[in-house]
Amino acid sequence: MAARAATGAALIAGHFGFAALVKAREREAPLWALMLATVWLDVVFVPLFLAHIETIERAPGTHGSYGAAIIHADFTHSLVGAALLSVAFGWALGKRWGRRTGVVLALVAFSHWVLDLIVHRHDMPLLPGGAASQPRFGFALWQWPWAAAALEALMVAAGAWFYWRAAREVSLAAGGTSARAALVAWLILAGGAAVLALDVSGLFG
Amino acid sequence: MQFILGVVFFVCVVGVLDARIPWPREPRRVPR
Repeated sequence: MAARAATGAALIAGHFGFAALVKAREREAPLWALMLATVWLDVVFVPLFLAHIETIERAPGTHGSYGAAIIHADFTHSLVGAALLSVAFGWALGKRWGRRTGVVLALVAFSHWVLDLIVHRHDMPLLPGGAASQPRFGFALWQWPWAAAALEALMVAAGAWFYWRAAREVSLAAGGTSARAALVAWLILAGGAAVLALDVSGLFG
Repeated sequence: MQFILGVVFFVCVVGVLDARIPWPREPRRVPR
């Protein structure tokens, strides 16, 4: 989730790591678009959060630290809402980058919901709007925050590693050096680690 | 805050640097 302003709910670095992992396999999709796709639901969440349409509350018995939140993102993080937003994202960028890339970007955008499903505390509804009677999903890995943080760290490391291998391969095949591939891979690793550290420490609230 | 920093860093900085790597491009559709 995007905003930690209320209680500190965030799965951020793991999403970026996943995007780097996808780039290693789907090489025609631009990395910036994959990075944007992977947090697209949270990008839409931000204005809705600021407008108090979607909200965050502290999970009972917690102190507002990493993952200690119930998130009422009933439009952006409902199963149907996430699917619609993902298709819209893939369709919009697919017009520029081609059909296959559009499909990849839509799937990566929807991967956000799947990854959030692992950590969220049973607060992700089926349908947009948040009717009280509908089922809500979430495997609540945030109940064990260090396990969730370890999962995020693993995704960042895997993303940086596989990105580096793929970028190095295409750079050398084109007759260039692998220096830029190494630089970008290190930035993915260092940036992901920094975001995760900020997230876990709650330095920026 | 870290969300905004993360988006700016990964989409703008990492994404722009990655664009200089010679990745294969999807063929553009040519109008008939």
